[in-house]
Amino acid sequence: MIKHLCKLVWNRKRINFLVTLEIFFSFLVVFAVIVFAVYYTDNYRRPLGFDYQNVWYVGVERRAGSGDKDLPQQLETSRRLLAALREFGEIESAAGDYTAPYSRGNWTSAHDYKKTGKTIYFGCNAVTDDLKDVLGLRMVSGRWFGKEDDGASYKPVVINRKLARDLFGDEDPVGKDISDPTAKEKVEQRVVGLIDDFRKNGEFAELSGYAIYRNDLTFKPDARGNIQGEPPRSLLIKVRPGTTAAFEEKLLARMQTEAKDWSFNIKPLVEMRASVFQEYLVPMAAFGLVAGFLLIMVGLGLTGVLWLNVTQRTKEMGLRRAKGATRRRIYKQILGELFIVTTIGLLVGTLVVVQFPLLNLMGFASPEVYTASIFISLGLIYLLTTVCGLYPSLLATRIHPAEALHYE
Amino acid sequence: MLKNYLKIAFKVFLRRKFFTFISLFAISFTLVVLMVAVAFLDHIFGKQSPENKQERTLGVYFLEMKGADGRWNGTGGYRFFDRHTRNLPGVEKMSLFTETERVYSYKGGEKIESYIKRADGVFWEILEFNFLEGGPYTEDDEKNENYVAVINEATRRKFFGDEPALGKTIEVDGQRFRVVGVVANVPYLRQVPFADIWVPISTTKTKTYRDELMGDFIAIYQARSSADFPAIKEEFQARLKQVEFPDPKRWNQMSGAIETHFEFFARMMTPQALRFGSQPRESLANRLIAAIIIATLLFMLLPTINLININVSRIMERASEIGVRKAFGASSWTLVGQFIVENVMLTLLGGAVGFAISRFALQFITGSGWFPYAEFHLNHRIFLGGFILAVFFGLLSGVYPAWKMSRLHPVQALKGVMQGGVR
Repeated sequence: MIKHLCKLVWNRKRINFLVTLEIFFSFLVVFAVIVFAVYYTDNYRRPLGFDYQNVWYVGVERRAGSGDKDLPQQLETSRRLLAALREFGEIESAAGDYTAPYSRGNWTSAHDYKKTGKTIYFGCNAVTDDLKDVLGLRMVSGRWFGKEDDGASYKPVVINRKLARDLFGDEDPVGKDISDPTAKEKVEQRVVGLIDDFRKNGEFAELSGYAIYRNDLTFKPDARGNIQGEPPRSLLIKVRPGTTAAFEEKLLARMQTEAKDWSFNIKPLVEMRASVFQEYLVPMAAFGLVAGFLLIMVGLGLTGVLWLNVTQRTKEMGLRRAKGATRRRIYKQILGELFIVTTIGLLVGTLVVVQFPLLNLMGFASPEVYTASIFISLGLIYLLTTVCGLYPSLLATRIHPAEALHYE
Repeated sequence: MLKNYLKIAFKVFLRRKFFTFISLFAISFTLVVLMVAVAFLDHIFGKQSPENKQERTLGVYFLEMKGADGRWNGTGGYRFFDRHTRNLPGVEKMSLFTETERVYSYKGGEKIESYIKRADGVFWEILEFNFLEGGPYTEDDEKNENYVAVINEATRRKFFGDEPALGKTIEVDGQRFRVVGVVANVPYLRQVPFADIWVPISTTKTKTYRDELMGDFIAIYQARSSADFPAIKEEFQARLKQVEFPDPKRWNQMSGAIETHFEFFARMMTPQALRFGSQPRESLANRLIAAIIIATLLFMLLPTINLININVSRIMERASEIGVRKAFGASSWTLVGQFIVENVMLTLLGGAVGFAISRFALQFITGSGWFPYAEFHLNHRIFLGGFILAVFFGLLSGVYPAWKMSRLHPVQALKGVMQGGVR
């Protein structure tokens, strides 16, 4: 049966080639959109690792030279600021950090590990001790920063599970050193604690390794490397539930009196989250819309082509009916031929798509996401061609043998 | 003869309305997407107020500084522009301004978010803003540290309702400014002029910016004509070599380019290795244009195959006509010509529909507020672009079916009349 259908398809190779080509390109378009959709959906379902409710972001613009001479005074101002914030009854806790969740800036570090020969990239942050309460971080093992880290000879760091897995596999990371082995001036970066997975860039971002360093906001004249305290680039504050935007004005006025030359901008984390969502979803929606319209167009075109084909094959169908083929068999024949043409197009399409990860073109998608996307796209195209084939094949079954043989 | 072709084409379109609908749908949809894309490009790069002298304006949008501390990529600093890039030959005017920054004001317990740009007085001479009230501040305001501001229409509404704002004060980021002018809104995507509030650079809270080689600043240069560009670019490279470094141990080398905004954009789109460093070769902008053309062709591929498919399948419909015309001596070329004319006519019809839909699509995007103050219009440039695309699309999708049709053997074709069958 299938062999016979293949022969029928081969007999009309010109027109079938064009249909195959169309299906091939449709598959590529569908796949391109689906792979992103699956990737983002997959990311979205994973744990975020922090609480953003009732947390406000305060961007700090210092507008000062990066010279070290201002540093002690800037650290002093930062400490005063945080102390002033904690005096408010509306504020539960306040912390300073380097790159806040959902903010644009990223601080990335790369460590070359000789052991595996691989470079491991991870996000970094330097925060004050209160950040754990502000963001509701959950410790998995070890401890959070505390007074015991004051004056330590190492740089204390808390890492997330993903980074622990990347660096140490299944071993317990607590107590280990994560400093770059290839660095010239080595300062021990000792892992003191492990947190759950943490995704700074939000729900749609990929889970990547994350290391949080301690920033104690104190000036150390003889500090080596990064142990030096740094004025935070932003402050995060946890406000009591029900605090309104009216409080922002009060807050701003207070901060301005503590640091006259600095500028601040306040934004609830929920709002920043919303704009990050928009950045991810608007392009996705635009591409989805275009791809959707392309599919409708392909579907209509395919229906038209199949319809015309059936019309042209009236004689053939009539003869088959006259020789005793049932309507059901005609129906099956038309759909079967379409199925073969579709399969050829999809086969080539899949072969092409499989090349991308081999060429390292779509590195962002994990093998699971990639495979799932291929299957979803295959399913969608089969669905599309089947729906397009229904009406034309129904038409073919309606051909009356007598009428068809009447020709010539 | 053309009239006859058109008449026949029209009859054919009406014969099977479903197929004509499919073709029109495909064509108009394709053109809607392309025209919206063209409207976007035009919105970002096309010439529009206040950048009326765009074709003879260059800018320095991105610099790199190197030294023992590594590389610092970003916008330039005031000191670099002020000390080293004034009086370039062929440059009439030079303006310095910062990137926009988000600032907040509070009015009656409500928060007002605005973008502020700190710019010198020449800014208002190079860029021709449309003033609704008052006028720009001047170089004297910049020199004397006057706390004056020009605001846009939207900001006036937020602060003062729709009442005149001239002479009133606004408080932004803890500083008070007197409004001297109100301008029409400038779209967010026009990064050079865009802001909600413009104030003199000298009103910055601390004056450390004056000592920085790298900082928040962008400079634009109005040349006498674009013919001077090569000379200006050459001189700029020479100036980069003469930069005095306050602390040569940390930083001792600067590189970058003076370029049009489109060239800058093209540079940012290319891989990192080519992005920085000295004056890029002219080809980067051309490369971006080539990339845009390739992307357009790729997008048009699927609709084209779709249209070819339908057209080829419809050959049989025309068999009788082709047979008769061939039997009476029409050459293949004549027939090819006829079918291509028909297809181009269909695409132009689809183009007209697409144009109407694009209008609604662009109105929708304008109204959505995704791009602050953006107004996407269809202008003659976009219309011309759409028209060229439609004709091109018609040719592309018409050639193969036309060639196939013209190849039908007259005898077969005449026989085909009977095969036409079930209508």
